[in-house]
Amino acid sequence: MSKFTEDDLKKELETKEYEYGFYTDIEADKFPIGLNEEVVIAISKKKNEPDWMTEWRLKAFKVWKEMKEPEWANVHYKKPSFQDISYYSAPVQKPKLDSLDQVDPELLKTFEKLGISIDEQKRLSNVAVDIVVDSVSVATTFKKTLNEKGIIFMPISEAIQEHPELVKKYLGSIVPQSDNFYAALNSAVFSDGSFCYIPKGVTCPMELSTYFRINEGGTGQFERTLVIADKGSYVSYLEGCTAPQRDENQLHAAVVELIALDDAEIKYSTVQNWFPGGKDGKGGVYNFVTKRGLCEKNAKISWTQVETGSAVTWKYPSCVLKGDNSVGEFYSIAVTNNYQQADTGTKMIHLGNNTKSTIISKGVSAGKSQNSYRGLVQVGPRTKNARNFSQCDSLLMGDQCGAHTFPYIEAKNKTAQIEHEATTSKIGEDQLFYCNQRGIDTEKAIALIVNGFSKDVLNKLPMEFAVEAQKLLEISLEGSVG
Amino acid sequence: MELKDKLVSSFLAFENKGGLDLDSNVHELRLKAIQNFENQGFPSKKDEEWKYTNLKPLLKNDFCLFPETKNPVGYKNIREYLINEIESYTLIFVDGVFSSFLSDTTHEECDVCVLSSALTKPKYKMVIDNYFNTIAKENNSLAELNTAFTKEGAFINIPKNTIVPKPIQILYFSTGSENEVLLQPRNLVVVGENSHVQIIERHQNLSKNTTFTNAVTEIFAHKRAIVDFYKIQNDTNASSLVDSTFVSQKQQSVASVHTYSFGGKMTRNNLEFYHEGEHITSNLNGISILNGKQHVDNHTLVNHKFPNCESHELYKGIYSDKSAGVFNGKVIVQQAAQKTNAFQQNNNILIDDGASINAKPQLEIFADDVKCSHGCTIGQLDESALFYMQSRGIPKKEAKALLLFAFGNDVVEKIKIPQLKSRITKLIAENLGVQLGFDL
Amino acid sequence: MLSIKNLHANINDKEILKGINLEIKAGEVHAIMGPNGSGKSTLSAVIAGKEEYEVTQGSVILNNEDLEDSAPEERAHKGIFLSFQYPVEIPGVTVTNFIKTAINETRKAKGQEELPAKDMLKLIREKADLLEIDRKFLSRSLNEGFSGGEKKRNEIFQMAMLEPKLAILDETDSGLDIDALKVVANGVNKLKSKDNAVLVITHYQRLLDYIVPDFVHVLHNGKIVKSGGKELALELEAKGYDWLK
Repeated sequence: MSKFTEDDLKKELETKEYEYGFYTDIEADKFPIGLNEEVVIAISKKKNEPDWMTEWRLKAFKVWKEMKEPEWANVHYKKPSFQDISYYSAPVQKPKLDSLDQVDPELLKTFEKLGISIDEQKRLSNVAVDIVVDSVSVATTFKKTLNEKGIIFMPISEAIQEHPELVKKYLGSIVPQSDNFYAALNSAVFSDGSFCYIPKGVTCPMELSTYFRINEGGTGQFERTLVIADKGSYVSYLEGCTAPQRDENQLHAAVVELIALDDAEIKYSTVQNWFPGGKDGKGGVYNFVTKRGLCEKNAKISWTQVETGSAVTWKYPSCVLKGDNSVGEFYSIAVTNNYQQADTGTKMIHLGNNTKSTIISKGVSAGKSQNSYRGLVQVGPRTKNARNFSQCDSLLMGDQCGAHTFPYIEAKNKTAQIEHEATTSKIGEDQLFYCNQRGIDTEKAIALIVNGFSKDVLNKLPMEFAVEAQKLLEISLEGSVG
Repeated sequence: MELKDKLVSSFLAFENKGGLDLDSNVHELRLKAIQNFENQGFPSKKDEEWKYTNLKPLLKNDFCLFPETKNPVGYKNIREYLINEIESYTLIFVDGVFSSFLSDTTHEECDVCVLSSALTKPKYKMVIDNYFNTIAKENNSLAELNTAFTKEGAFINIPKNTIVPKPIQILYFSTGSENEVLLQPRNLVVVGENSHVQIIERHQNLSKNTTFTNAVTEIFAHKRAIVDFYKIQNDTNASSLVDSTFVSQKQQSVASVHTYSFGGKMTRNNLEFYHEGEHITSNLNGISILNGKQHVDNHTLVNHKFPNCESHELYKGIYSDKSAGVFNGKVIVQQAAQKTNAFQQNNNILIDDGASINAKPQLEIFADDVKCSHGCTIGQLDESALFYMQSRGIPKKEAKALLLFAFGNDVVEKIKIPQLKSRITKLIAENLGVQLGFDL
Repeated sequence: MLSIKNLHANINDKEILKGINLEIKAGEVHAIMGPNGSGKSTLSAVIAGKEEYEVTQGSVILNNEDLEDSAPEERAHKGIFLSFQYPVEIPGVTVTNFIKTAINETRKAKGQEELPAKDMLKLIREKADLLEIDRKFLSRSLNEGFSGGEKKRNEIFQMAMLEPKLAILDETDSGLDIDALKVVANGVNKLKSKDNAVLVITHYQRLLDYIVPDFVHVLHNGKIVKSGGKELALELEAKGYDWLK
């Protein structure tokens, strides 16, 4: 056998098809394309929403109409035509199901292909799953166990009906309708998403999880997630996403709002492997996401993300550290290959005294991809003793890709302590030879080295996700690492 | 009238005033430059590159564009701004006009003279055509503005294999002949193969009147040339400076630009390095020690285009009172620039509430076999070290100054001219408000 | 076991090995000594299959199989182990994870099942104890921040785990104090058997006090200029290398 070189690997990567690129043949209830006030009202009506919600959406739509798509990110793509998208698509089978047996068998097959068989999830990992397929929740499990603790975990469409007071109070409180172009669009047309409320002092006994999946061609997916952790509570939330392979670019513009009240802690983990586009750069998902969390006194929000998918990613999970002694964390691995472009990072806004933030960002670029870290650490003039530590490392594979670091650091108080470090490196020939000599082939060696490079972030993921995440890194870089 | 309109409408008058060769290529460059400036206007905070520096208040002044010197300036007026302890060539300009009386130029081994004569004398036509305004960037509207009004400045032309025997000091004085003055000096430095030169530059306002200096320097370092350029910025609080320095380097050359910012109301340093060969070394060193409401923005770019080059960037900042520091350092490593070593470090200390620092250290890497890193820190003085020193009898102010000097020392250490080093050390002590000799 | 015949090798078109002949049988310990630049490390790298070196003539044969077309990992699967003079750092990859991957990849290549985690753990503990390695050490990143002694001990630990047929120790004594040297040598001696062989490459005789060779070869200018018993090492120590030139 001849030696497996990095070039061979690159070739193999190019020929590698998207593993999750299949399309489930479920009948879908789909709106005609285009967006105007009527469509917004129709979406709201379809979901039987109260008037205040319809008004809220219309307000967002008005703001959106006046806004321009942002251009500052280090990504280049053909802008989606917002009038060519269908803004609502729900499986025809009506979703309220009590048991998994009632779920469309086609759908179950889809989940199996994804390796997230619900049965298995239930049995093995004790995960409560709120599954969103093309924008509507299909099955919610573990509701009972959660009910006993007073935890509310349901599709946001239901929460609007059943807990309007909570939704009214917090929806848009941290990502206002006018926040940015995509957040405004999402606010106007969001189809569904998850709602989660953890009562005072309650530690959520299991990891809460949602799988998002884009299914129908030409539909945009606009989920809306709202997680509220009341005083002294704790929750760990997992979000995983895949999309089948389609030729057109699919738009995904989600909004996630986290509210951690005094002494509460939210851990939000994402594994994202939406279709990255073909090796020629055709197709793939546009992932323009707004994620932000608010920390009250002594609260903590921790974002962990493993981003291996999407053709274009634009995503900055952020923390507003409003309360004294609050803590924000951001742990990220972004892997780009072929023609993928990722512009991702975080904002840590230090408003309260003694607030702390940690940013660990690892970027791996291969093929002809471009991978950018963009971050902001801000310390206001009246904020005492803010601390930040940031580490941004890039690993380049091949000389056709790019790695970029754009950190913004703004300090206006003398007690601020901020440290930012960034490095760029490649996989060394000597490292590969050392592994080879111990019987590890080059492909495996690269996987091993990339995993080692990403370890600080992988370690932050809940167990259930860590294995899947590791697998994803391997798939997106070579397809056979363990 | 808005300053922009005033500048644009004064352009014809400026060119026709005489002393300028209207048939030359330079005339064409000026014309193009004023058009570019007219199209772009002054940068505003909306420009990403000017996010943290606001020119607007400064531009509200009714600047006199062509001041005339009314106040005679003698050696005694300027002595303290010269480094007298060393022999040097000196180029001294007063209100934009060259003072041959105060200067010490040469045409012997090399040309250390004025740009106005280089722009008009046939002897220098080749040099001007080959170098003048070839690396100043068209998208830098302030540099374009300078080009449009280029008339005077330093012209330094070193032939190959020449070690310039003594440093060159360039000083620009403003006498405040008008209430508000705009000066636009222009330097051109061409250093031939194997040649060495050391240059010290300073802008100084001798009055209390408002001065805005929009300076441009172009430096060309040929094969194996060594260039050291020191910028001393310790101007009065009535003075603002936008300094755009562009450096183009050929293979194996070493170019170092050192920026010492201790004074001035508003200072913006644009410093850009472009590589035109392999095995080049670029050094960027800077220290800012600010107080009051001073504002210094160091905006750097190193563009690695060829393999096997290095860049080392080190900027330190100490900010007191309500002063503001900006560091924006960009390192680009293009695809061909394999085996690049690029290091960037920016360390800041905030002394008082109200002082601020905005930093944006950026890496843009398109080559894989490179070693690039950047680090940025914001912190304060080590209180325990301070206490320790106080308990040994060192007064707080002095202890603080010692610690701050230690913080900035690795920048000072890079100065190769001993007399300049002790001058800078003295200036640091002055700016920290102590009388200490740090060089023990 | 290992048979090297008229081996010539270049790096960047410069000839370093100029006709090496060497026979190593199972159960033997050979030492190769020589001054700096004689080609010692090149020889070990060529046996291990490092790509930068081009074999221009001759062959390396392991158990009757010519290794010419074998990739480094295939050579490792066939039982060649090289203890590196400068072990390489791999940040974030623990000693345990690394050795686990190495063992399972080797097993996979031989058509064997992966070693169950329980057995792997047992094996790791056993071998760590043999080499007096602290358990905490096993969860550190491979060679990152290791002292010289730790790096070399880790190499021998991996050797113990992989149980190679032929172990090449390239300047394993460099950077070791006498205590660490004894631990490493002791480990090698315990691992030695009638079925495997050891090739010690060293500049100094010191290590050979502890790992006693059956044969000593002197390498000079890319050739073996003298071979003998263990007494040759002592002679070299006393006289230096000059008398051989």
